[in-house]
Amino acid sequence: MSILVNEGLWLLDNNIDPYVGGAFRHSPLLLSLFSTIVPPLPIIWALSDAVGAWALLRIWRARQGLSSLKGTGSDVENLIVSVYVPSAYFEYAPNAPHSYLLNPYLLLPSLALSTSTFENTLTLLALMFASEGKVSPALLAIAFAVHLTPSSILLLLPILMVLLSSPVSHLASPRPFHGNLKRIPFLFGEFTLYWLVLVGAACIIAGGSWNWVRASWGASLMLPDLTPNPGLWWYFFTEMFDHFRPFFLMVFSVHLVIYILPICIKFQHDPLYAAFLLVGVLGTFKAYLTLADPGLFLSMISLFPEVHGYLRHPIITTLLHLHAALLLPLQHVLWVSEGRGNANFYYAASLVMGMAGGAGLVDACWAGMRIAVGDAKVGAEEKVEGKGKVMWEVVQQ
Amino acid sequence: MRRASIWIFLACLCIPSFALYRGEIYSEDLRIQPLRDGRVSTTFSFITVLEGAVPRNPKALGQLDESQHYALFPLTLGQILREYAITELHLTLNAGKWNYDNWGHPHEAGVGTGAELWAWMGASEVTTVDERWSGLRNALSGLFCASLGSLDSRRTLSPTVAFPLSGSTPTFAPHELRHASLPSESVCTENLTPFLKLLPCKSHAGLAALLNPQKVFDADWHGMGIHVTWKEDTGVELKLTLQAVFNPVRTSAGKRRDWNLQSLFDRSIERSCPVASSSSVTVILPEEKGYQITPENPAHINGLVIYDLSSSSNFTIPSNIAMYWPSEHSFQYPLPPLTPVTPLSVKRTIHGTTQTRGVLSISVTNNSPQEISAGYLEMMPALLTLWMHTLKVEINSQIRSDLLSGLKYHPPSPQSNDRLSPSMLQAVLTIPPKTTLKLSMEVNKAFLKYTEHPPDAMRGWDLPGAVFFPLPQSSHDTSSSYDWERIYTPTLLVDLPTPDFSMPYNVIILSCTLMTLIFGSIFNLLTRKWVVVEIQE
Repeated sequence: MSILVNEGLWLLDNNIDPYVGGAFRHSPLLLSLFSTIVPPLPIIWALSDAVGAWALLRIWRARQGLSSLKGTGSDVENLIVSVYVPSAYFEYAPNAPHSYLLNPYLLLPSLALSTSTFENTLTLLALMFASEGKVSPALLAIAFAVHLTPSSILLLLPILMVLLSSPVSHLASPRPFHGNLKRIPFLFGEFTLYWLVLVGAACIIAGGSWNWVRASWGASLMLPDLTPNPGLWWYFFTEMFDHFRPFFLMVFSVHLVIYILPICIKFQHDPLYAAFLLVGVLGTFKAYLTLADPGLFLSMISLFPEVHGYLRHPIITTLLHLHAALLLPLQHVLWVSEGRGNANFYYAASLVMGMAGGAGLVDACWAGMRIAVGDAKVGAEEKVEGKGKVMWEVVQQ
Repeated sequence: MRRASIWIFLACLCIPSFALYRGEIYSEDLRIQPLRDGRVSTTFSFITVLEGAVPRNPKALGQLDESQHYALFPLTLGQILREYAITELHLTLNAGKWNYDNWGHPHEAGVGTGAELWAWMGASEVTTVDERWSGLRNALSGLFCASLGSLDSRRTLSPTVAFPLSGSTPTFAPHELRHASLPSESVCTENLTPFLKLLPCKSHAGLAALLNPQKVFDADWHGMGIHVTWKEDTGVELKLTLQAVFNPVRTSAGKRRDWNLQSLFDRSIERSCPVASSSSVTVILPEEKGYQITPENPAHINGLVIYDLSSSSNFTIPSNIAMYWPSEHSFQYPLPPLTPVTPLSVKRTIHGTTQTRGVLSISVTNNSPQEISAGYLEMMPALLTLWMHTLKVEINSQIRSDLLSGLKYHPPSPQSNDRLSPSMLQAVLTIPPKTTLKLSMEVNKAFLKYTEHPPDAMRGWDLPGAVFFPLPQSSHDTSSSYDWERIYTPTLLVDLPTPDFSMPYNVIILSCTLMTLIFGSIFNLLTRKWVVVEIQE
């Protein structure tokens, strides 16, 4: 939030450690960016969104196997064209940038000058560089993202897998992972190096003290601030009994990590899709969820046009998101500003949001696997001797 | 004959006991001041001086202390002071809002609403200052039956400029201040009873006989204070004070402002306290004429009438001191606009309609024709986050940042038990003559865990008042400043957003159900095998 950044800047100007009082929870890197390089002007958020949209377009191009050299114009030109002339050249490409720029879940946090915009852009940049096979930039970008929000560590494994294999869609033809697994330790080492450099830089900027670690990273593990957000954590830990709090904090944190391996193993043939699903996990279960987190997941759906036909309950998911998007602001106003409702109103809306996020995740997960089975309906009605008309259906057993 | 010899024997026993009083001096005083709004301010002060006594050196805390023998000084309080090596102690318990504009400065400066405790202690390696502070709080809460135990690290600060040592500075150790206030603490009979027990004559004789709880706690404003100070040339001084502002216009039948001791306290002084070296009642006469005071007394000094009650004087006891306005039928409240009595008037409010954000605004008016520089101290519990970058100083809607100087801000700092200490904001405000200065800043209200809310959560939280204090003279020229003491603003009530208290189980169940539903669905999808099955018509 920009008010937090401004407060942090004021404290820094007055020689007060901004990480002592719990008012400021962002990384020292972000603080030094705004104190020395640029002031926190709205144009920075607009630029960040534009970079994010550009990254999304590049990811789409890499996934389609189109190198940027083969394109009909420069990326910037494509971006502009795709925003203003929907479906101008490509069938799906235009969806990617404007699904990002016009997504209300992403637009509103940017208007509110939320730092989640930068986190999303960094995540997309990491995925973009990984898709284009640029090892060091990808690892640097994800190191930045992990530095700003530690929960982005979920995306590290799929990004390493994308770097080792290819971003091209293999959803329809699953195969075992064919990258060189021996390179994983080296890549991970490089990531750790970048991350340590960032931590060191942050420590130097913070004046050699480690208070910022507890204030910024510790917050997503200890949840000291219980301000309502669209996520599932805040009300749970508001109402939690004190002696169970550490246990459930551990459960909620481990629950996030638990999705990495199963999703990466199941989608080893298409690690970019695994990364997409993990973005969805983050967008549902993250500690301090902002609207931008589910927004990133929804915008990334446009990267995978091949699965659109196989989504399990797209209508229900859409309706859930619609309800959540309407209920969240309404109930928040009723509770906090008007004083007519109570906390349960907003909690109910955040549950709807959680259901919407979960439904989207289940949809995407289903579609990503369902596509491999093929379209059974083509041969659904065929005459079999002695049985007459036979219907076929694809199910899981 | 036999009886007479017993009396002589008893008298002989008494001689050494009187000798014990040497080194301990007890004096009592009552100041009565009729106020311009018809109220009557009364201030009792009971002073016991331990001559030549020195506060305990905290470095000797591990060793056996010297034995304590007191004749007049209360042993229970003396034990606490020695046990925790307290150099200076101030405890006030007040109820109501002191109206500076109409009543002027109080005779005892500590009039902040609720409980306020501050102590100066020497630092030592034997036990830390914070350990002794915690012990002191609990001991005093036991002694005075007040909830001082809850003045914990969430309320403790060290504002040394606003609360300096009022006695001498001991040389044996560097001294530290601990200050805490609890605005929601209310004062009642159970606090007065232990207070009276500290007096040598209890409430049986002397001025303390007037302290009738039913009348004192019916007063518009009432409060008590315990002040222990050490002065190098005299020794340890214990000053017990009790202030009350009575409203005879409200309690009298004819809406008259006449008062006498009997009507104010419903008691009279039957006998004087024999151990008191001095005992007096001082009436501060109002400026406007038309009053009469009985009994007529020749000792008129500078608008004061002093009645000496000590046994040596020829004042007749029992006596009823009375003041009345014979020509006034019923008291007419002075009509506004009234010029405030004090040179500084302070208003402090918090506004904003939502339960999450608000604006804290302070307006300070200088009523005097000369410029006043005042220290401003805000001790805000971590319930409220002050957004310091929104701090604005305005005069007539014009930003005047030059009037604020020496800004010091300590954000809430995490304590050992995972709680946040209050934030402290201290600044010097320079207020031009006959102007009003407005200071405002945005605040955020915290969302608390449901277990952190009090049982009556919907009532809101009391925030301690801000303190305006005179600056140390050395840093300021004496010509432009006037003689004043700390000013406390009234407390504020802040409405925090509350969770629902009835459904912790429901929330845990619903949230966990949603998580397991999504978790289960995804793992179900990921682990099952895809097959094509035939559907029978």
